[in-house]
Amino acid sequence: MRRILGLLLLALGLAWAQGDKLKACFIYVGPIGDAGWTYAHDQGRKKAEAALPWLETRYVESVPEAQALPVIDRFVREGCQVIFATSFGYMEAVLEGAKKYPNVIFAHATGVKRAPNVATYMADFYQVYYLNGLAAGALSKTGKVGYVAAFPIPEVKRHINAFTLGVRAVNPKAQVLVRWINAWYDPAKAREATEALLAQGADVFAFTEDTPTVIQTAAKKGAYSFGHYTPMLKFAPDHVVSGQIVHWDVIYIDFLKKVKEGVYTAKNLQNVDYFWLLQHKAVEMGADYGVPINPKHVPLLQKAEMTVGGKKVSVYDRIMSLLKDMQSPKPTFDPFTGPIQDRKGVVRIPAGKKATLQELLTMEWAAPGVVGDWPGEPK
Amino acid sequence: MEEALVRAVLFGTPMLLASLGALLSERGGVVNLGVEGMMALSALAAFAAALEAGPVWGVLCGVGVGSLLGLFLGVFAVFLRANQFVAGLALAALGLGASGLLGKRYEGTPLPDPLPEGVLAGLALILALGLHLLLSRTRYGLYLRSVGENPKAADLFGVSVDGVRYLALALGGGMIGLAGAYLSLAYRPSWTDGMTSGLGWVAIALVILAGWQPLRAVLGAYFFGLLFFLQFRLQGSVPIPSEAFAAMPYLLVILVLALSGRARAPKALGQPFDRGR
Repeated sequence: MRRILGLLLLALGLAWAQGDKLKACFIYVGPIGDAGWTYAHDQGRKKAEAALPWLETRYVESVPEAQALPVIDRFVREGCQVIFATSFGYMEAVLEGAKKYPNVIFAHATGVKRAPNVATYMADFYQVYYLNGLAAGALSKTGKVGYVAAFPIPEVKRHINAFTLGVRAVNPKAQVLVRWINAWYDPAKAREATEALLAQGADVFAFTEDTPTVIQTAAKKGAYSFGHYTPMLKFAPDHVVSGQIVHWDVIYIDFLKKVKEGVYTAKNLQNVDYFWLLQHKAVEMGADYGVPINPKHVPLLQKAEMTVGGKKVSVYDRIMSLLKDMQSPKPTFDPFTGPIQDRKGVVRIPAGKKATLQELLTMEWAAPGVVGDWPGEPK
Repeated sequence: MEEALVRAVLFGTPMLLASLGALLSERGGVVNLGVEGMMALSALAAFAAALEAGPVWGVLCGVGVGSLLGLFLGVFAVFLRANQFVAGLALAALGLGASGLLGKRYEGTPLPDPLPEGVLAGLALILALGLHLLLSRTRYGLYLRSVGENPKAADLFGVSVDGVRYLALALGGGMIGLAGAYLSLAYRPSWTDGMTSGLGWVAIALVILAGWQPLRAVLGAYFFGLLFFLQFRLQGSVPIPSEAFAAMPYLLVILVLALSGRARAPKALGQPFDRGR
């Protein structure tokens, strides 16, 4: 009797120790204080931990690509069941680690290669960029909109194109002047690139860089801007019109819940790819959380008009109705709906067709209105 | 054109201040490779003080922390006679790491009243001129140069080699601290981890580029500032890939360094002074 009781207690203890908690571990490419990419992932981790009582998390920050595999080894030794790798450059390490530890579940942000125990995920901004482009087109007096861009890769090009399509939908003659700084984080380059664009007459700015530098520089000269990645309204309350904000927690919570429920296992992730958008609430259009457009700029956008299907509508109404549509479970509108030609006149998306996921992920062409160097532009 | 000149001065200023600071101690024979870390910590100290007590306190605090870090380097480079290159590199890494750790709570905080860049840029010019006069016209300048060229002889003449070097490190540290304060209080103005983005290393190269002459450091810093701006101003209008443009300022600095190879370093540069030997 006593032995049975003992065994029972032991079994219960084991069940409690193993069954209840799920341990998820995160590999970050930058410091969690970078106020951009890694900061946003860490916010997602914290929110997931707060929302899921059975979740236990760990993280290692500022992991260089070559160090990713040793970190994976360490995480597995420490009992991590799910490992999130949050940088594109971790791809080889993740695939190798997944082979080495077939029972551990991996998820790779911005990744393109999957395996039975490797899923990929991304929260994408292209719809939000289009909406911000509409506002930028309406607000620019010079017809020149500045874009300070990180690296010439498909993700950034897709965002610039979506933004430019928006700008041109309001002002068909407007130009989007692009400057590459070849860095995700470099405030000095962002500052001087913005100064160069200001000197060339740009009066509205969007950007891909991890600090509010572009916003602060533009505001000094009275130019409007759109925040990136985290809410940036407080850095220039009179000049930040809107921006792109990410909610990684939405993806993390969904993924971890499905792991916990046994929907995702280390054997069935081959086709699990999150490419989450406005409708999934993984991204938000906003100058701040819950502030899609800075109230100070609403009257200007209400006054500005654009033509949609032969009818005049206010830019503000157009933005809000498209936002509502794209936030709904079944959006009807997509910025990359044909006919779309690139800036050299080649048809990229035929009339009536929407860009496929594959076309979005491999976009190299430049939209009409984009002005500037465009490395890797197809002939 | 006018815009380009303004940018040359405003972006050249932090590099000018930092290179003046490094130049001062190098004239006294102490190599300072810790500039990047010193700038990072001073930038953080200046930002924190400016948030709590206003921009003037911010500047003072940045300068003060820079001076202390200069003396901290002195403990190793002068008192302990450690290898100056290793001590400097360690300080650079320490400063960057410590500022990242200590500064977490200041990430993403805007600065309510930033300083005007122009005032600090003017101050940097005055400091360059002052340093030139200090080196060429004053007794301390003479001592400093003699300590940098031949510390044994200076010691024989009754000059306190260590004292002169400590003072040079403290004064130079203050200028490096001012460079950090300029970044976080005027140029950005806010604080993020790693915001010095390599400017401290450029400043060290500028010292050599300027041949250890303060007035030439002014030209060097502005030249680099101009190139840095032009890479974005010309991008897209000239058929050169953006990656090549990004490398241009550094390539040109190397080129100028190679061409001006005759510049002579202080003879005792990098050598710890040991009276007993």
